[in-house]
Amino acid sequence: MTELSTAPLPESGEPIVSARGLRKSFGRKEILHGLDFDIPAGRIYGLIGHNGAGKTTTLNAMLGLTNCEGTIRVLGEDPFARRARLMENVAFISDVASLPRFLRVRELFALLTNIHPNFSQDKARSFLEGTDIRPEMKIKQLSKGMIAQLHLAVVMAIDAKLLVLDEPTLGLDITYRKRFYRRLLEDYMTEERTLLITTHQVDEIEFMLSDIMFIRDGELILHMQMETVNDKFTQLVVNDPGQQQAARAHGPVYEETRFGQTVMIFDGVDRGVLEPFGTLSTPTLSDLFVALMQRPTANPETAR
Amino acid sequence: MKAFVALVHRELIEHRGAFLLGPLLLVAILLGATILAFTVGRVDARFSGAMLTVAPLRIYEMGFLGFGIGWALYLMATLFFYAADGFAADKRNNAMLFWKSMPVGDFKVLLSKLTAAITLLPGTVYAVALLSGLLLYGVAYVTMLINGTGTVAALGGIGMVYLHVALAILVSFAVGLVWYLPYLALIGGLATAIGRWAIPVSLVLPAIVSTLEWVTLGGLHPFSTRTWDYLSYRSSFPSIEDGYLDAWFTGPDSFNALLYATDLLNRVDWTQVGIGAVFSLAVLYLGSEYRRRSNDN
Repeated sequence: MTELSTAPLPESGEPIVSARGLRKSFGRKEILHGLDFDIPAGRIYGLIGHNGAGKTTTLNAMLGLTNCEGTIRVLGEDPFARRARLMENVAFISDVASLPRFLRVRELFALLTNIHPNFSQDKARSFLEGTDIRPEMKIKQLSKGMIAQLHLAVVMAIDAKLLVLDEPTLGLDITYRKRFYRRLLEDYMTEERTLLITTHQVDEIEFMLSDIMFIRDGELILHMQMETVNDKFTQLVVNDPGQQQAARAHGPVYEETRFGQTVMIFDGVDRGVLEPFGTLSTPTLSDLFVALMQRPTANPETAR
Repeated sequence: MKAFVALVHRELIEHRGAFLLGPLLLVAILLGATILAFTVGRVDARFSGAMLTVAPLRIYEMGFLGFGIGWALYLMATLFFYAADGFAADKRNNAMLFWKSMPVGDFKVLLSKLTAAITLLPGTVYAVALLSGLLLYGVAYVTMLINGTGTVAALGGIGMVYLHVALAILVSFAVGLVWYLPYLALIGGLATAIGRWAIPVSLVLPAIVSTLEWVTLGGLHPFSTRTWDYLSYRSSFPSIEDGYLDAWFTGPDSFNALLYATDLLNRVDWTQVGIGAVFSLAVLYLGSEYRRRSNDN
């Protein structure tokens, strides 16, 4: 349906993450089918896919939490063989509920100060200013939103080169989610840091992404910079049946009817060619996600 | 090293209920019950004080040593449950991925748990044991004062008894911990993979191994094998029979911790301790490799 485009590496430096022929099987079922990708430094990546598409397995491979076939290097290291060392420069949230609940906030900070060489207790405390979280509070007594705030404060207080967030706002309300991402952008991101996020709330992170990777059934079907996405994909809203027929001749990758209007998404078709048929716009990430990710078994409405 | 010490410390924070608060509560209950017993006349302070004058130091010695045995039993039970529960705690607490985001390897994490099990956690129980002995002696001495037999000289003697018994309990704890280390490691290693099911599995494992030996290599019955004999030997505390304790108990001399410690240390099969340490590290390594490949949160 869509050809894989790879994001070009910046001129300077090695990629933060590099994968070649990355495969992973659980029993007889192969989950990742030979992924090839590079993630350069200083970018904000969104890894998007259905449930069971292989996002978490890919992240686990990057974080050294699972062993895979093929080659994967993070900051030049084999993550499975050197996870402990790698974690000095990589921070991640794989589950916001994973903070040790038996600790008080101050105990958590004190332990991390001794355990993690790049953790700054002062930074963590400053990130919690303006929240309702107090040092004497036990983590098990915090609300889900407060635990997410605390976990974010912890990872932001780690001076890491790569931050990986796997569904970091799962189960949080919209206020917390927006605050979470704003905080991340304003207080953490620098040119030296790379951020990789997976989430199902694609529209909420679209504004901050520099690059996107779509993964479907263990294969990368899209990997490109957001600027390229905007140039490459076009959404056309067309009402006239005659114009629809003419537009279809240009091979939309997806078509659906919304409120009586026909919406088509085109890949690599010149906007000048499509302009006479209707109203053009850039598809949102969620529209593009639906367009590129649908599977006949999950959604029978495929592109015609 | 700083990280390792912090990991050991976190074990105390996580299990302070069993190793600090629980023992303190026991001491408080015991002290409260003792005071209450005197207050309501269940125990007569004068009689108690008079009793202490018959063979004062022997009663002080036996009292505190009795406490020491009690605390040793408490420690054995809590360490058994700690090994089965604490080694699986990160998974049970849903915190595995958080600890895996830290720059420490799985072997180091498990080693910190085992180190805590033979240092900080029993050290805490030992400190409470000392406190319980202090309170015991305090109450006993007060009854001596009430009886009119409490003197400064007696207090000096009691202090020496306290020091000797405290040292004996310390040495006993230390020897017991290194002697039973492979059991702790085995239960911990099992718990890393199967969680708290390690409790029943570790209880039936010796019988299973012994039965397998009987089936494959022969023997009178499943409990008459080399495996069973070896495990029986490794399960017995070194100084039980015909040791200094027996001699002291039947003799007139006061308790001497140095003689007790020398006797105990001489009875320890240090080769077996060494084998146990190597076995423990091997089990921990296997457990850490399992944990390294397991992402259950």
